Amino acid sequence: MAATDPSTQKAPTAQAPTEKEPTGTQREVANDAALHEAKVHESYGQLVWRRFRRSKAAIAGGLLVLGLSVMAVCADFFSPYALGEITLEDTFIAPSRVRMVDVQGKIHLWPFVYAQELAINPATFEPTWSENTDKMYPIELFVKRSEYKFLGLIPSRLHLFGVEPGGKIHLMGTDKFGRDLFGKSCQAGRISLTMAIFGTLISVAIGSVLGVTSGYYGGRIDNVIQRFVEFVNCFPQLPLWMALAAIVPRTWDSFRIFVIMALIFALLSWTTLAREVRGKVLSFRETDFLLAAKEMGASDRRVIFLHLFPNTLSHVLVILTLTIPAIILAEAFLSFLGIGIQEPLVSWGLLMRNAQNIQTLGQYPWMMTPVFFIIAAVLGFNFLGDGLRDAADPYATM
Amino acid sequence: MVNYVLRRLVIAAFLLVGVALVSWIVIQLPPGDFATTYQTFLMNQGGTTQEQAEAAANRLRAQLGLDQPQAVQFLIWMKGIVTQGKFGYSFAYRRDVGELIGERLVYTLILALSAHAISTLVGISVGIYVAQRKYSLSDNLASIIAFVLASVPRFWIALVIAYIMVFTFNQHHITSFFAPQYVMAPWSPEKLWDFIKHVWPIVFIAGLGGIARNMRVMRGNLLDVLGAQYVTTARAKGLEESKVINRHAVPNALHPIIAYQGTVLPYMFQGEMEAAIVLGIPTLGPLFYESLVNQDIYISGGLLFIYAALIVLGNLISDLLLAVLDPRIRYN
Repeated sequence: MAATDPSTQKAPTAQAPTEKEPTGTQREVANDAALHEAKVHESYGQLVWRRFRRSKAAIAGGLLVLGLSVMAVCADFFSPYALGEITLEDTFIAPSRVRMVDVQGKIHLWPFVYAQELAINPATFEPTWSENTDKMYPIELFVKRSEYKFLGLIPSRLHLFGVEPGGKIHLMGTDKFGRDLFGKSCQAGRISLTMAIFGTLISVAIGSVLGVTSGYYGGRIDNVIQRFVEFVNCFPQLPLWMALAAIVPRTWDSFRIFVIMALIFALLSWTTLAREVRGKVLSFRETDFLLAAKEMGASDRRVIFLHLFPNTLSHVLVILTLTIPAIILAEAFLSFLGIGIQEPLVSWGLLMRNAQNIQTLGQYPWMMTPVFFIIAAVLGFNFLGDGLRDAADPYATM
Repeated sequence: MVNYVLRRLVIAAFLLVGVALVSWIVIQLPPGDFATTYQTFLMNQGGTTQEQAEAAANRLRAQLGLDQPQAVQFLIWMKGIVTQGKFGYSFAYRRDVGELIGERLVYTLILALSAHAISTLVGISVGIYVAQRKYSLSDNLASIIAFVLASVPRFWIALVIAYIMVFTFNQHHITSFFAPQYVMAPWSPEKLWDFIKHVWPIVFIAGLGGIARNMRVMRGNLLDVLGAQYVTTARAKGLEESKVINRHAVPNALHPIIAYQGTVLPYMFQGEMEAAIVLGIPTLGPLFYESLVNQDIYISGGLLFIYAALIVLGNLISDLLLAVLDPRIRYN
């Protein structure tokens, strides 16, 4: 430490001449540059990013979340079939096996699927789909198929992949309405993700307001708010969520159900945040910069919004990323039980609803596949939140 | 100490009243009441006319006190719970809700508490093990597994287990505690084994998340304590590493875990609930879910209260336990 001290003091003064005279002795410039790089002022954001970047898991989590969001927004493009389409004869097709090797053992350079053939089981009269190995359909990329409006605005016919009409490609199979589960899962991300984010934002709003108030004003107000937090914490989240979700009238329109569900999730999720923010504010209350601001006559509002809240923002962000997966999981379970999101909205949990019946599950195990989207989303947000937690305090030594 | 215990008890009592009030409000939110359900039942299944059904419903209202103002009704409900353990009447089961809950509560507690015990033991042991091997292969592996476990929906694990049990091992009767031949039999080692064979998925699923949490908390605490100077002193004096860990570091790292038990308990109940609903094992979870679907309001309200009361109780116990272990808390 002692060795670098004089040089850090030198660095700012040495910087100006080196910029003016780039022809100065090479070695000194290089030295200065190295020192300069280590000690240059970096904004809080840069410091956080620098530390965040080091965690591979956090980057992977961020990419997962990003990927799922893109798939949700551009679901029409990623789905090989039209999203709203219900084709009743295509019910319960097993996931297509994408092959590189055909039944004769010949290796193909391009992946393909076999044709699907419908047969009636003579014993049970149940329609069953099976592969017809006589005809094969190579998978094509960027095909023009059914029309949709990209982002609800731009008419387009482009799909990421597909097979020639006549063949069928369902990466995750189809459900009882003949809907392609893969495309539907992409689409379901829209509701599952926005509901979790929306609910989390509401809970963040409640939590930060109560947390800052509690920590800043202290005394009686603090006491009341803290007792209230303890009281809310007494309620088991899941049962109360279920009870509240179950009394939402089924006759409401989709939008109202969506908003009310997000509110229900927010209702019990804000307590951790309120506590953390309060703790942060309490520790800042005694600092010099806050005293200075107050002595200069800053109003409470100015102190809170300009000095206190920005300092708690990093922690808010961390808790935000960790609340989202909790809501995704809860929403999935509620919708899976049939007391969450209703058709015509789709969420990942709702897509798995048919798997609740063990008989259906036994016959069509691929009804469980939307779970991989849930796992990916939750894992992504968890990794992201964990990486952010380490990065949020970049001044701490690791 | 007595003072502290009394204070905690009073707070707990207030919390219970508040919890009961909220449970009451939640079950009163949907339109109509218990008698309305009765009325529709009479009209649909009893074949009575609307007037007759309404008269019968009104009679029931008067009998159960449903025509009283809300505040009075709430007091009647509370009085029933406190004095007689009565939670109201279940329409679907045609029985007192208190009895219904009582039967299942025992099983729920057994399952949730064994999940709790297992997850605490395993979580703490793994936490101690990996904290001594920071950033080693086992540490990283344990963190990754903990992460993945926390990310997989519990209802899906339950589905997978049910699928494997039914279609791979041909085990039927998964939706009950016992195989048919043991249902009426007195308790015996074979019956216990049969019981375990039926309920292990629930304990397993409820415990999984707890293991991950306990492990992470224990690892973090122990790492903090291992960085303390007294640990360095102990090592410098030549104490064996095992003694340093087990005698000096672990006891001090355990305190936060105990404080944290209060928050883990609701997690266990939720895990138990989620798994039991999917597997259909008759504990409180499926009863609660059915009551919500059928609008059997006294069951929903009663169970909401029971769940919250269990959490209040759990918090109380962990507070008192902590006060026994840590003198700093009881004199504060």
